[in-house]
Amino acid sequence: MNNPGMTEVLFSLILVAIAIAISRFWKINVEKDIAIGSVRSFVQLVAVGYALNFIFDLESVWLILVTLLVMALVGAQAASSRVTKIKSPFVLILFSILFGSFVTIGIMAFLNIITFEARYIIPLGGMIIGNSMNASALSMNRITSDISSNRLTVETALSLGKSWRESSALYFRDAVTTGMISILNSMKTVGLVALPGAMTGMILAGADPLDAVLLQIIVMYMILMAVAVTSVVVVELTVRQLFTVHHQLK
Amino acid sequence: MGSPSLVVSHVSKIVDDKKILEDISYTFYPKNIYTILGPSGSGKSSLLRLLNRLDESSSGEIIFDGQTIDSYVVCELRKKIGYLFQTPYLFEKTVKDNFLFADNTVSNSQMLELLAQVHLSQKMLESSVEKLSVGEKQRVAFARMLLTKPKILLLDEPTSALDPSITEAFEQFIQKITIKENLTTIIVTHSPEQAMRFDQTGILIADGKIAESSDIKSLLENPQSDAGKRYKARELS
Ligand SMILES: Nc1ncnc2c1ncn2[C@@H]1O[C@H](COP(=O)(O)OP(=O)(O)O)[C@@H](O)[C@H]1O
Ligand SMILES: [Mg+2]
Repeated sequence: MNNPGMTEVLFSLILVAIAIAISRFWKINVEKDIAIGSVRSFVQLVAVGYALNFIFDLESVWLILVTLLVMALVGAQAASSRVTKIKSPFVLILFSILFGSFVTIGIMAFLNIITFEARYIIPLGGMIIGNSMNASALSMNRITSDISSNRLTVETALSLGKSWRESSALYFRDAVTTGMISILNSMKTVGLVALPGAMTGMILAGADPLDAVLLQIIVMYMILMAVAVTSVVVVELTVRQLFTVHHQLK
Repeated sequence: MGSPSLVVSHVSKIVDDKKILEDISYTFYPKNIYTILGPSGSGKSSLLRLLNRLDESSSGEIIFDGQTIDSYVVCELRKKIGYLFQTPYLFEKTVKDNFLFADNTVSNSQMLELLAQVHLSQKMLESSVEKLSVGEKQRVAFARMLLTKPKILLLDEPTSALDPSITEAFEQFIQKITIKENLTTIIVTHSPEQAMRFDQTGILIADGKIAESSDIKSLLENPQSDAGKRYKARELS
């Protein structure tokens, strides 16, 4: 297969048309959603393509950092909209995502695993931020709901003179695990059930499958670390919101 | 009477503009047992929570052993002011784990002695807490609290789930350690009969205020306040 051009994309509209036809024939009533979704994703992706071209050509470190920041802002916004029980989750989530991403990317650049070029940093940063976004929302929801539904347990420990940290240790661990569960699970089945995105992309673009595998392994480890850091940081920050400085449950 | 162990002065608690406790003042002395009576929802548990600083009072001052409770490291304070909740909670898995949670230096023989003191079988030490009855849990929680070596005991309806026969033995144990260990014991109870058995000071709380306090006999038999009269009419008729 050659790299696809506009002609191929236009032909692939037939696939969308078939989906619409199915919806109409079986009266599923999602024609409108299909149409809007298809146009929307087309526009978004083309815009991103041009933006990436622009960024790759400039090769400015600042522009890379600003791009990562914008991705983190959007990710933190999306994640905090999924958090219900904490008053201002946005700042906590944003900080956790930025911390997790920058430490991970920093270590990878330091170890020369990747070169600090837009072409590498931005797609990898996107994967990190996407995964961190999910992890932080899950972890934050878990710690708040666990502690609010186990007030008696936590206060029993507090009443015996335990600190807020000791009194919430059990829930702390569960919350961090919840954030990491997705990457841990996918590491178990990776390659056996489905080929992950980065690897699929490389193979489709004509790379040697073994090269694609090596990249994929790096990507998994990278996500693993980013998610671990983000989850720990977000739970550290959140659990402090649930207690007063005098080790009292709010 | 010696110096007081706990002084509560003009303490109020307001939650969301609602007065839960209003201008509470009282002075507690060691070797005494104080029974707190009052209708449910009157603020008895809320007061105990302020005393070991699980909650913060909105105004007023609480003095423990001559110093305001704010001046203590709060986790150390809570060990000194033991609090047995109305609903006892035991951690996983065994009774022994619960004792070690409170004090990880306690020896096996100390734990066995403790079980005997609260009238539980010594075989229970290795039992899983899920198998215990509510009354047994209440006594394990009480024993666990003693392991932090408290000087003040806050007991929120400690015998609500006990058999009458065990209740009286348990009351005697509380009386014994209060004297022997020089403790100040504050017991919330819904039972005027139990208050009479302790036969010391009674404090009646109604609508977040101390309605009256005196020796328990006159408080129950000859109340002075309106709240006291209503309490007598309802509880002792
Ligand atoms: N955290 C809280 N927030 C709001 N209201 C509370 C809180 N805790 C207790 N209350 C209210 O304070 C009052 C006193 O409660 P409580 O101290 O539990 O009474 P008691 O132990 O005498 O039955 C009740 O009206 C209760 O609804
Ligand atoms: Mg109560």
